[in-house]
Amino acid sequence: MFAARGGHGQQDLFRVLKAYTLHRPEEGYCQAQAPIAAVLLMHMPAEDAFWTLVQICEKYLPGYYSTGLEAIQLDGEILYALLRRVSPVAHRHLKKHKLEPILYMTEWFMCAFSRTLPWASVLRVWDMFLCEGVKILFRVGLVLLKCMLGSQEKLKTRQGLYETMELLRAIEPQYMQESFLVHEVIELQVSEKDIEKEHHAQLRRWKETHGDLHCKSPPRMHGAKAIMAAEPPSRQDLKQMPTIIVDSLLVPKTDGVKAGDAKESRKTKEEKPKKTILPQQEIVNPYLPPTDPSPLLKHMTIEGSKESLSSVEHDTYL
Amino acid sequence: MAKQYDVLFRLLLLGDSGVGKTCLLCRFTDNEFHPSHISTIGVDFKMKTLVIDGIKVRIQIWDTAGQERYQTITKQYYRRAQGIFLVYDITSERSFQHIMKWASDVDEYAPEKVRKILVGNKSDEVDKRQVATEQGIKLAKAYGMDFFETSAFTNHNITETFTRLAEQVLAANKKDLDLLRMSVNDEINLAALEEEEGLCDSAAGDQGKGCWC
Repeated sequence: MFAARGGHGQQDLFRVLKAYTLHRPEEGYCQAQAPIAAVLLMHMPAEDAFWTLVQICEKYLPGYYSTGLEAIQLDGEILYALLRRVSPVAHRHLKKHKLEPILYMTEWFMCAFSRTLPWASVLRVWDMFLCEGVKILFRVGLVLLKCMLGSQEKLKTRQGLYETMELLRAIEPQYMQESFLVHEVIELQVSEKDIEKEHHAQLRRWKETHGDLHCKSPPRMHGAKAIMAAEPPSRQDLKQMPTIIVDSLLVPKTDGVKAGDAKESRKTKEEKPKKTILPQQEIVNPYLPPTDPSPLLKHMTIEGSKESLSSVEHDTYL
Repeated sequence: MAKQYDVLFRLLLLGDSGVGKTCLLCRFTDNEFHPSHISTIGVDFKMKTLVIDGIKVRIQIWDTAGQERYQTITKQYYRRAQGIFLVYDITSERSFQHIMKWASDVDEYAPEKVRKILVGNKSDEVDKRQVATEQGIKLAKAYGMDFFETSAFTNHNITETFTRLAEQVLAANKKDLDLLRMSVNDEINLAALEEEEGLCDSAAGDQGKGCWC
């Protein structure tokens, strides 16, 4: 979809990312936003993809793509701290070999695993992520670390920083397989509260060692529900702004209370992807063909993972 | 476990986004070339063993994200490098001008005795050339570096470039290596080296002589 230079996929990708830089000129473009936008474009038209990207960058993962990349580094520390409880063996191993979180989790988190997992798992993880927020990314990361580094047996032959890193860049397929991964992620007891608590602890540590954060990001919202609760859509938000207008016979032009209501509910439905992401809509997507939506993409991922750089997108130079 | 190499050191690829750092690396380690641009997020690395003067040299090549905002992350790895590739794209004047900035960052964050080499990549794209070979030669001379024009696409000068930097790092640390070879017997040295691998971050001076961090 994004392979052809100057093709529709690339054009849309460019437009969505460009639009973001115009929307937030002070933030600008960050390379990891391209894979995020690419996944969105596979599910929705460019304008919706843009608004969803805005929500991800500002509500789900605030500060991830900002100058200095402090938020991602902080989340690395949080992940590492949470791992201590989830898998002491893995935690000890990473500590022993001084494998810093940013070495293995930057791409995982910044691309929301879209470059790491097989496509079927990406879709499931994203469904959960958009519904429940960043804790899903933490849980996926923790599950992968636990599976790959959680037993002494496995670690025996993989001593050393680089050996360990190679291990984490070539995660065994069985652990990334959709049903296994989703099951493990659901089972893992890591809540929003745990993350917030650890966030405070790590932020305190960060300030001690690095000083104040340079980028003041808005608070992180844990999922669609929290975003809706914090910012109930206003009438303005719900106003429909279609790019293509087709006269509908179903909505009579005569103004009345009834017609207004019908219009309102229709708008609500259509407007939602813009404001938050409807998880139900994504889980059962009737428009998804039974086959892989993008064989090319899958091919790329497989090809990529071999060289420890699995990827879904070819980003445009911006 | 049999030791696969005698010494290990770390090289780092730096340069603007899209100049072809990852492609150079892929060509060198796997002899592959992917024309699509897949941006590196954070840092990545690959390994390869070369034999230089009969010494098995294991090189770890760190690939970095070129985009400016990743530098807060990538800079943390400068200090671990013994050799650095400064890469620009011969079809991009801008990427060439930025070499100055990359070089000054290296001066600031990398170890003092780090060896550097200037690389002008995409030499196959003659029609789009914006930086003359002479400009590259001149800049390299000013910095006292060697210079290569390469093409990851046609595999031009790739092995030469990597080998040259590896040789220079080896030469720069020859003294340490000789000391290592003279001291006690080989087996112990190799074991010491193996141990070193995981400890490279700690102050190198008081560790064995095998790792020059």
